[in-house]
Amino acid sequence: MKKVLLTVSIMVVFIGSLLAQESPTTPRATRVQISQGPEIALAGGYLTVIRWTVNNPGGGPVHYGVVHYGTDPKDLSQTAKNPIRLNPSHSSTVFRVHLYDLPPKTTYYYKVESLDANGKSDGVTSPVNKFTTQ
Amino acid sequence: MNRRRLVALCTVTVTVILALLISSQTARISAQSTGTQSTAWHTGDEPDKTPPPYNPYPPGILPADLNSEIARVLREVDNIEAEALAQLRALPPPILTGNPPTFQNTGQRLNVLIGKALNFDKNMSPFQNRACGFCHMPYAGFSGPIPSVNLTMIAYPGSFQFRAGKRTAQRYTYAPNFPVFNFNIQQELFFGGNFWDSRATGYMLGSPDEEQAQHPPVDTQEHALPDTACIAFRLETAVYKSFFEEFWGDVLDIKFPANTEEICETPGGAKIFGTSATPIKLSPEDRARANDVYDHWGQSLDQYEASPDVSAFSSKFDMFLAGDTTLSADEMAGFKLFNGKGNCNSCHVDGRSTAPTPPPPEGEAPNGEDTGATASVKPIFSCFGSANEGLPLNPRDAFYYQNRPDFFGFTPNPFGFGYRDLGLGTFLRSGFGAAPSPNDTWTQFAPTSDGQFQVSSARDVALTPAQCPTTEAPGPYFQKEFFHNGYIKSLKQLVHFYNTRDTSFAKPVTSGHCPPGTIERVTCWPMPEVRNNLDTTTGMLGLTDTEENQIVAFLMTLSDGFSRPYPDKNTFTGVCMTGGTAATQGNSTLIPTPPLPPCASAICGVAPLPTKPIP
Repeated sequence: MKKVLLTVSIMVVFIGSLLAQESPTTPRATRVQISQGPEIALAGGYLTVIRWTVNNPGGGPVHYGVVHYGTDPKDLSQTAKNPIRLNPSHSSTVFRVHLYDLPPKTTYYYKVESLDANGKSDGVTSPVNKFTTQ
Repeated sequence: MNRRRLVALCTVTVTVILALLISSQTARISAQSTGTQSTAWHTGDEPDKTPPPYNPYPPGILPADLNSEIARVLREVDNIEAEALAQLRALPPPILTGNPPTFQNTGQRLNVLIGKALNFDKNMSPFQNRACGFCHMPYAGFSGPIPSVNLTMIAYPGSFQFRAGKRTAQRYTYAPNFPVFNFNIQQELFFGGNFWDSRATGYMLGSPDEEQAQHPPVDTQEHALPDTACIAFRLETAVYKSFFEEFWGDVLDIKFPANTEEICETPGGAKIFGTSATPIKLSPEDRARANDVYDHWGQSLDQYEASPDVSAFSSKFDMFLAGDTTLSADEMAGFKLFNGKGNCNSCHVDGRSTAPTPPPPEGEAPNGEDTGATASVKPIFSCFGSANEGLPLNPRDAFYYQNRPDFFGFTPNPFGFGYRDLGLGTFLRSGFGAAPSPNDTWTQFAPTSDGQFQVSSARDVALTPAQCPTTEAPGPYFQKEFFHNGYIKSLKQLVHFYNTRDTSFAKPVTSGHCPPGTIERVTCWPMPEVRNNLDTTTGMLGLTDTEENQIVAFLMTLSDGFSRPYPDKNTFTGVCMTGGTAATQGNSTLIPTPPLPPCASAICGVAPLPTKPIP
């Protein structure tokens, strides 16, 4: 009977591994670059969204959009980041990062970059931009 | 009588009638359904006593029809159990042969039907009133079967009424396809497991689904058995015992002490048990046998869930992939949006596109359009990962109100509204309301996992009873609930949430407090319960209203039962709902979130701390 149990267990594990389909990796574009943005996609009262598009950075499924920001263009010491899943069948990736509870009528300077899940840079960084909250 | 006196009299009369109606509803809910709890509960010198129900809820949290709906589902559970027994008796016995020994011919079907019998056996609970199937019925894609619960308290009442869990009942369908929970070092990501927080890892049995089946029987707010050995004890008297023994061997030969029934009919968490998870005193040999039985319980249930009886691959989309049918114009448009502008298949992987055609000038496909070949003919529509989709806290969740002791001295949620659901993050910390993590090397990743919940398979998200053919108002429709906390009430709202969460509809309010001039779930999305690790794959998709509807139309093609009948889908005996719109479905049951206390330190103050404080 022990052998029956072992056989059943092995079959279950084997079938499970066959059916598993973890997220595939995405091909990296020949020259990774920001093709659109960064721009302020939403300048809300409590939520500000910064958006930019990259022709695929490639690699693992999850990357992070990162915004370095501050009120002094020489001190972008605040950081916000959000994860995003690359879509292997899409030729570009839209990153969006959320900044919360910024004070009104304040000018912020920022630059953006993206990282893979290991923290390795995708190799694209924007120049410093600015926006003013409502 | 002058006009002012007449108005005053009418006002008083209406108030009195309303008060009477509300109190009668509360009284009805308060009455424990003694018809389903005939088993005596023993305490000390009091021979027979039915414990009073646990009802810490303010009026309106429990649905008014809860008792009648519980009774309805129990009748349906009994009907399917009777069917399973008939199927077992009609099955030609398998022949044990070969080396390693195999139950030739009908062995697998026997195991599947044992799993079915276990799934719909309501004796597997202290008051013999809760089967696994009670919260997972076939006609709802093996998710929650009570429309009014899905609309209000979102978690299902357990064996000791009205304790309830904290999350929605996740669909069984395709759960066996999820791999063993693991950390992919190369991708720095967790995959697999079962449950919203992936706490059934499969680390011991090699199958997360088998281990998933082992949690609810001893979950204090679900079946609530106090000891896993109670399963073996109840199997001793099960009608299908001979089939279980035939398949798994003579494993039920356990010498239980005389007080076992008394223990097994007392719900887990009872003060009398202290912190013991094994109040039944067994010899080491018998404890090992009881553990084997508990493993077999999970293994048989897994085989049922993996079988075509549950995970059928019989949807219209499956027939489409096989080239045996075509999708309608809206369904096909929805499919293209699912893969393209909607970005849904970033997480709900659809098995397409090993080699997509690049956009011009290299190729012919417009940006974002999938023209690749089918890579999998049985896509599961999940990446098996986890994500924080930024759902608002749902103040209707019954869990928040269970902050005082019940009759047995158990308090399900001592933190009340100080509870925050950090999902995978809490599990990785072995935290409150999750389960102990079997791998301490995972703990370091808790801060980057806070707020994340499993990416469920999109299959059968729209599966409903035949007489209520849709999830969407005006129907006739079957009210389901979506995501881990049931905040979303229709697929239209689900797609609209993904489409507009991060637009001007995002408001700095909690649910029930949307600004005047906005409509919650239409033009107002309250703040996320957990901001940390918020996934922005979606949230600002730019879909039109028509495009949202087309994605909903596509999701409906993922319901099993198109190419062949879905087993037991016709067992629903309740009532469909009608009227209203899908966009505002369930909005009449919104309630204002009370002022929220800070997140309890027992949840948000556990090391490693969240990357940013969670309010």
